[in-house]
Amino acid sequence: MSASGLMSIGVRALAANYAGLQTSGHNIANAGVDGYTRQQVELQTALGQFTGAGFFGKGVDVKTVARVYDQFLTRETQTSRAQASFDTARLDRLQQLESVFAGGDLGLGQAAGSLLNAMVDLASRPQDLAARNVVLGRAGELAQHFSSAAAQLDNIQSGVAQELGAQVTQVNELARQIAGVNDRIAVALGSGQSPNDLLDLRDRLLSDLSSHLQITTVAADDGSVAVFAGGGQRLVLGGQASTLQLTPDPYDASRVALGITEGATVRPLSASLVGAGSIGGLLRFQDDDLVRARTMLGQLGAAIAGSLNNQQALGLDLGVPPGAGAPLVSIGAPQALPAQTNARTGGGAFVSTVTLTTVDASQLLASEYDLSNNGSGWQLTRRLDGFTQTVVDDQVVDGFRIDLGTPAPAATDRFLLQPVTRAAGSMARVLSDPRGLAAASPVTASGAGGNTGSATVASLDVVSPTVDPSQTATITFTSGSGAYNWELRDQATNALLSSGSGTWSAGLPIALNGFELNLAGVPASGDVFTVAQTAFPASNNGNALALANLRDAMLVGRVGNGSGGLTGGMNITDTWAAAMADIGVRAQGAMTASSISTQVADAAKQAWSERSGVNLDEEAAKLMFYQQGYQAAAKVLSVAQTLFDTLLDATR
Amino acid sequence: MTRISTANQFETGVSTLQQRQSELNLAQQQLTSGKRINKLSDDPSAAARAERARAAEARAEADQRAIDASRAAVAQVEGAYGDATELLQQARELLVAAGNTSYGPGERRAIAQQLSGIRAQLFKVANRADGAGGFLLSGQGSGGAPFVDAPGGVTYVATGGTAQTASSESLPLSADGGAAYLAARSGNGVFETGVGTSTGTAWIDAGRVTDPSQLTGLPYSVQFSVGGAGTTYSVLRNGSATALTNVPYVAGQVVQIDGMAFTVNGAPANADNFTVVPSSADLSVFDTLDAAAAVLNNTNANVGQLNQAVANGLRDIDAGAAQLDSARSEAGIWLQRLDNVETRVGGQKLLAQEERSNAEDLDMVHAISDFQLKQTGYDAALKAYSQMQRLSLFNFLG
Repeated sequence: MSASGLMSIGVRALAANYAGLQTSGHNIANAGVDGYTRQQVELQTALGQFTGAGFFGKGVDVKTVARVYDQFLTRETQTSRAQASFDTARLDRLQQLESVFAGGDLGLGQAAGSLLNAMVDLASRPQDLAARNVVLGRAGELAQHFSSAAAQLDNIQSGVAQELGAQVTQVNELARQIAGVNDRIAVALGSGQSPNDLLDLRDRLLSDLSSHLQITTVAADDGSVAVFAGGGQRLVLGGQASTLQLTPDPYDASRVALGITEGATVRPLSASLVGAGSIGGLLRFQDDDLVRARTMLGQLGAAIAGSLNNQQALGLDLGVPPGAGAPLVSIGAPQALPAQTNARTGGGAFVSTVTLTTVDASQLLASEYDLSNNGSGWQLTRRLDGFTQTVVDDQVVDGFRIDLGTPAPAATDRFLLQPVTRAAGSMARVLSDPRGLAAASPVTASGAGGNTGSATVASLDVVSPTVDPSQTATITFTSGSGAYNWELRDQATNALLSSGSGTWSAGLPIALNGFELNLAGVPASGDVFTVAQTAFPASNNGNALALANLRDAMLVGRVGNGSGGLTGGMNITDTWAAAMADIGVRAQGAMTASSISTQVADAAKQAWSERSGVNLDEEAAKLMFYQQGYQAAAKVLSVAQTLFDTLLDATR
Repeated sequence: MTRISTANQFETGVSTLQQRQSELNLAQQQLTSGKRINKLSDDPSAAARAERARAAEARAEADQRAIDASRAAVAQVEGAYGDATELLQQARELLVAAGNTSYGPGERRAIAQQLSGIRAQLFKVANRADGAGGFLLSGQGSGGAPFVDAPGGVTYVATGGTAQTASSESLPLSADGGAAYLAARSGNGVFETGVGTSTGTAWIDAGRVTDPSQLTGLPYSVQFSVGGAGTTYSVLRNGSATALTNVPYVAGQVVQIDGMAFTVNGAPANADNFTVVPSSADLSVFDTLDAAAAVLNNTNANVGQLNQAVANGLRDIDAGAAQLDSARSEAGIWLQRLDNVETRVGGQKLLAQEERSNAEDLDMVHAISDFQLKQTGYDAALKAYSQMQRLSLFNFLG
């Protein structure tokens, strides 16, 4: 035994307590650093020295400084944060979107209502140019509303693309940093001790990365972690980082898609594989919510424009001589976008093009379609509900005709069909002459003066452009129960052109020569109704009545009933209200999802911090503990010193 | 035991405070705007409901404009018909005066001129403009003034019927002037007596129906023959002889046949004949006045022609006035119906406003108590936070 043994114990104790003080100090210093994992000194008793009198302790050793770390909690904070950023990113954009679909006096629904309500005034005063100008003004406003709503959607889209670009840059920077830290950790681990602060740094980088992109990590033996994104694509492996890239959508260049570089090639990452993270949220918003908004807007715009223009064409304007009404508003044409990978000529142009034509705007649906060949034929998949059907050239589907063109597309070609997506964007009023509004109907119905029944003309609707006003229709009732004979005679020569008979029943129109005559009341036998060419189109309001009736017409989203007719559909007001509700529900759902996932992320963060975070009170207590330990160790040294001195004195 | 991380404690505290603050802010926003829904996601289905209600409201306003347009038109039509009846009344008085046997040709001529004046006024009233570029009585449309003075008499150059508004309930925007002015029933409404050939001074009255069940709807003629046996007459039914053949003629005696009765007065000449034909709905008030004025202007007219003209004139003016009156009362009924329609439209508008208010307006009582609750919550959270943050072991060391 020697005094130096005690001295050595004291020195070791001093060092151990100093290490404790230093670590607590480090903890206190880093208490506010986000993602900092508290550290603690791990001490171990130095193995005793054997003597004949047994083992004598040799003091304490500092084993290591360890992080108080839980791998599960750390991973949980990362994944929950990815989900929370996904929901928040989508919510932020949906909140922009819902302002486009706002209701109220400045909304699009109100503009559509004002236009059709102005038709009431046109019907009241068909000759009044002021009433006609009001209709034109309202039509301009409506077109303006549609195109500016589409422009807002374009703005949101370009904002999404820009933000995605910024996020991709950040992701690439983070991936590069993680790769760098991986290298340093591998080197440091070679020393046998854990580089705590580097590990913290990497966890923080991973957590930041997770907020952008859903990742999975796999730890390697050398201490580095491999990071995979988008369903198994390698983002970081050891010290190597791949880069993400923003590429234009293969069909629609206004949208963006994500790709990951692998050597010289860019491998596309589909939005569904990207998963959570703010990039996933933005992609989901772009590919789902924004497309839905666009197609709903386009569907409504196309239906309104189609029905207004059709009704215009069925009437007569104030021209000299009166002619069929010219289109009132124009909309963007339906588009078939070829995939960038489609067959091209030597000049770089696509070999074949597909063209779409709107046949019946009231049957268009708020959807885009994928057209591809499965080897046996062309398959059309409706993105709205995934419904797939086989189509052939010139087939009419959901209100539009698909013309596969010549030469027919190659079997490997793919197309994205957008029947309504671009409709609203270029909506404009194209009629500028108020006299061009077709307020008059080409035919007029009147009951004969001698009619004895109670029937009167309730309405006369021209339903087909095939109506021939030069043919005068005479309907003579032959019984009190609705049986009638009809004949069509040439107006000029009175020559009989055709005749027949039928039975009228209450509520059903009498359809002849492209018109439908509705009677109110009950006709008596011998009553005569005549439908003849409108003699004075200038003061007739028949077509203005029909235009005003569009308010109640089911002219959006009608579907075939299987027997050639059409069924279902909604009127303009209901369609707009439904579109509002659709976007509103999306925003509301995103808000709920975001608040839930944010709470989950907060809870995960809290659980992590409860384990790994710094508690200042705890550190204060530790400071006191180690301080006292340090003082005690110093006392041991002082005792050893005194012993040594005593010994020296004794031998002097 | 749960460890608390100091940094997380701060963070959680601050974020809770922020959340409470934003809730308070939202409550304040709702209170200031008075709206429960400031953006779609606040309540999508209520927002959609409010939008539909707003459309219904705008529609009720459009209906109201249609009602106003219809009322303006119908009120003017009613006025025009009223003016027309008044003019016809004046014409009737003049015609009654013209029947005065003491009047000479000069006086009759003066009356004829006054009648022509009245006719001109009537024509103007019939072609009255509606103040919006159209004409009140243009039916379903006319190229210009609906009544035109044509060589054969006044014709109606418009499509019959009425133009309708585009409101939920169809309302008239014009009236069928042709039916009012040119389509009264001729004669006494069932049959029409007339002069076939008259060289004597006889005239026939309007006649009346004595037994509706015996009416045949066939044309008749009364043939006079003046010969040795005195004056006799025969009534032919559709050209065939009847029981009344060679009946001795007594001036003023009623002739009865097939449920009809009429009287011939004055002295018929040989081969004079009068016609009795079924009434038709083509009596023009303008023609009536023209015909009366023409006879009164004729200085050579004999007493029979004069009496016939006065009798026919009075008969036809009465028929025309009755027709106009019925058109006028129809307009009056429309005015009344318009009031009812307006009440209904007003009710619909109110309903739509209530619906909208229910959907998007804030329940103030609820909102204020909610706001106060949130205020108290925020206040308490602030206090708790400031108390908590003062606690630290370091305060007690050293």
